[in-house]
Amino acid sequence: MIMARKDDILKTFLEHKILVEKYELRVDELPNSITEAKQSEVPIIRSIALIVDSLEGPQADTDSALRNLITQYLNSAAI
Amino acid sequence: MNIQTVEIENYLCYYSTNRFEFSKGLNIILGENGEGKTKFFEALQWLFIGNDHRLDLLVSSKRLSEAALGDSFSVSVSLSVEQYEQIKFLKRSFTVTKDGDQSCLIKNEIFEGIEESKKGEREKVDAETLLQQVFPAEIRKYSMFKGESELNIFDNDQALVNLINLFAEAKHYSKYSQKGEMLLTAAEKAVANNTKSRSKDKKDYEVLQADIKELNRKKDNLSTLLAENHSQLEKVDKGLKEAEKYVDNAEKLDILNSRIANLELSISDHQKQIKERYTTYLFDDNWVLVQYESIFKEYEEKISQLSKERRKLQTEYDKQQGKKEAEREAAYKLFSGQFPLPFNVPDKEIMKELIEAEHCKVCDRPAPKGSEPHDFMKKRLEEYLKLQDPKESEDPEQSTLFEKDYITELINKMNLHNDKLGEVRSIRKKVEDLFDFNKKRKLEVGDLEDKLEKEKEERNRLVGSSVLAEEKLSSIHKNYNGWQDDKTRLSKSIMEYEMEIGQLNSQIKEKQSKKDDIDLESANSFVIKTREIIRDIEIILRETVENKFNEFIEMLQEKSNKYLIDINVDSFTGNIKFDASEIDGKKRIKVSLCEEDRPIHSPNESLRTSMYIAILFAISNLAEQSREEGYPLIFDAPTSSFAEPKAGEFFNIISGTNGQIILLTKDFIGKESQSRKLFIKPEFDNVNRAKAFWLKLERPFDRNQLRTINTNVINV
Repeated sequence: MIMARKDDILKTFLEHKILVEKYELRVDELPNSITEAKQSEVPIIRSIALIVDSLEGPQADTDSALRNLITQYLNSAAI
Repeated sequence: MNIQTVEIENYLCYYSTNRFEFSKGLNIILGENGEGKTKFFEALQWLFIGNDHRLDLLVSSKRLSEAALGDSFSVSVSLSVEQYEQIKFLKRSFTVTKDGDQSCLIKNEIFEGIEESKKGEREKVDAETLLQQVFPAEIRKYSMFKGESELNIFDNDQALVNLINLFAEAKHYSKYSQKGEMLLTAAEKAVANNTKSRSKDKKDYEVLQADIKELNRKKDNLSTLLAENHSQLEKVDKGLKEAEKYVDNAEKLDILNSRIANLELSISDHQKQIKERYTTYLFDDNWVLVQYESIFKEYEEKISQLSKERRKLQTEYDKQQGKKEAEREAAYKLFSGQFPLPFNVPDKEIMKELIEAEHCKVCDRPAPKGSEPHDFMKKRLEEYLKLQDPKESEDPEQSTLFEKDYITELINKMNLHNDKLGEVRSIRKKVEDLFDFNKKRKLEVGDLEDKLEKEKEERNRLVGSSVLAEEKLSSIHKNYNGWQDDKTRLSKSIMEYEMEIGQLNSQIKEKQSKKDDIDLESANSFVIKTREIIRDIEIILRETVENKFNEFIEMLQEKSNKYLIDINVDSFTGNIKFDASEIDGKKRIKVSLCEEDRPIHSPNESLRTSMYIAILFAISNLAEQSREEGYPLIFDAPTSSFAEPKAGEFFNIISGTNGQIILLTKDFIGKESQSRKLFIKPEFDNVNRAKAFWLKLERPFDRNQLRTINTNVINV
């Protein structure tokens, strides 16, 4: 199956060692697509998916829209 | 894409129509200097980009001189290419009408594009769009090179950015690091605002924020200065290289420069080894304890003395206490006239029974309550009981001499320190060793600096003894020495700025950590958690972008080295090293030839050219991979610094590479000594190629009469 470029980009970001070392996530539990990652219960994964989805869409969000999207999600996830 | 044909019509030395039919693989165009090689290259450049110059200057003088007044003819350059099994044509042309002896009118400059379908049907299309489709401008930048000096594509600030935007996967990632930074700034600001609204020490926090801001401002200023110094150093280096071309004994200068570079490197290595951060060692490495042993001995003696004294005092005290106690008891008994019950007197329990029974069994007579014998018995029992418990009567304050046992604590500490005395003793040796080491390095640096000075003097003499025109030489010599001084000064400044930036980074880190502590105490936990995650996201985005960039550079380096070895088979090549750096936010690449990890100082021109060509092949290969299509490489005289046999070897090697190469060279053209006739040397038969052409001026001609100049294209 050919991966969409944004899924490819997401996968590359999720390969970062910090997710395994600090967040103790197992490589096999990492999502393979933006759709899957946007449903993740792990805030950092869902945030990265939201960022990639926003920037790789047909019309990328403005900085302030992206900032609101991520901070609002993370604040609500952290409470 | 492959170029199939190029037609040049009445363009400068190309009189009438001249057709080149190219093949895939290596196409070599031979030609003596001034016989049309560069004009071929320029004709292609004109086809692709046109120009603002006067078009009448592009007209073939021979054709114009032959035309009658009022006659019109066409000047054109056209090209046909094959792309995805389709033929496409591009043609730039204008019409010339002769209106004077050597003057003309220019009309109808047009740029035409035609596509031919697989069925052979031709359709007119927009030429600019077609050109961009068949040979994009960004690809041409890495495909067409005039002379050896243009081959260093990294000789400008934008080169790497262009390259990455063209071929690297990294281009999809670059925006992410900026977004990560933007999110982080917002998250830090949210935490700071939250902390300020809740913190008790709002003022201290604001001071901390201001300090961090100020340190960052200083760091930015220094980074700008550092970037300026780097850029100046590059210019100075270029100037020096340029000046060195004028020195007669270039080989000796190369050796001298190489020795100077090695000495400078060696001095820098020695200086780096010298460790003089004494304030840090004083505390971090405990050097401050170097005199500790004598102090410790004094402490030990004092503690021992105190301990002895304490024991003595305690013994004395215990003796005194015992004595006092005995005396007190004796005195009490003596002065109160009371003694303990005699041996034959009943014990305490019997006495109690006697008192309770109101009968004295000792003298066997009744002792009713309130009678004298009953009172006597009671009194004696009370006195007896009192004597049995002497402590009750003691003064509690007088029970111990030393209430707290400080001496034992001091002894314990002394034992602990005694164990570490070995480590403390080794500090003196470490200090002595380091001083000794630094002293030796400094002496060596001094020696090296003396040698360096001598080498520099020698170089000055060599540059000064060049036999160029005196005026020019004097100016070069003056600049040369000035540039050498500038180079030393700039290198030193760069080192100092880098050190200062390093120190500022540590200070920022320290302040940031204090600020984080206050944030943790004061801000809402959800804001802190959000920032924590965004910090990690920023790291992930930034480092992934860097990794993608580095992967591309590594791949380019690997491919370039592979081609370099192929080009220089059986001879020394060294290896190509790409050093990526970021100056003032801009990524730069420095390419150098190294022997192991040390740069080869001033590699000879042919080796340098091999390096650039190897890099270009690697880029061409990347273009093919990333665009799934190859593009031709067109070189005008790329091997002028190569000796002819080496050029032959070089051509044989590149003929084996994939893709189309069109190469113009003056190699393999010989001249008969008597007749001055040009000929192609037999060695050319040994050169593998797909096609070869010989550009040869029609003889006889007069170099001062352009109307006699006509380049013939001969298929070899």
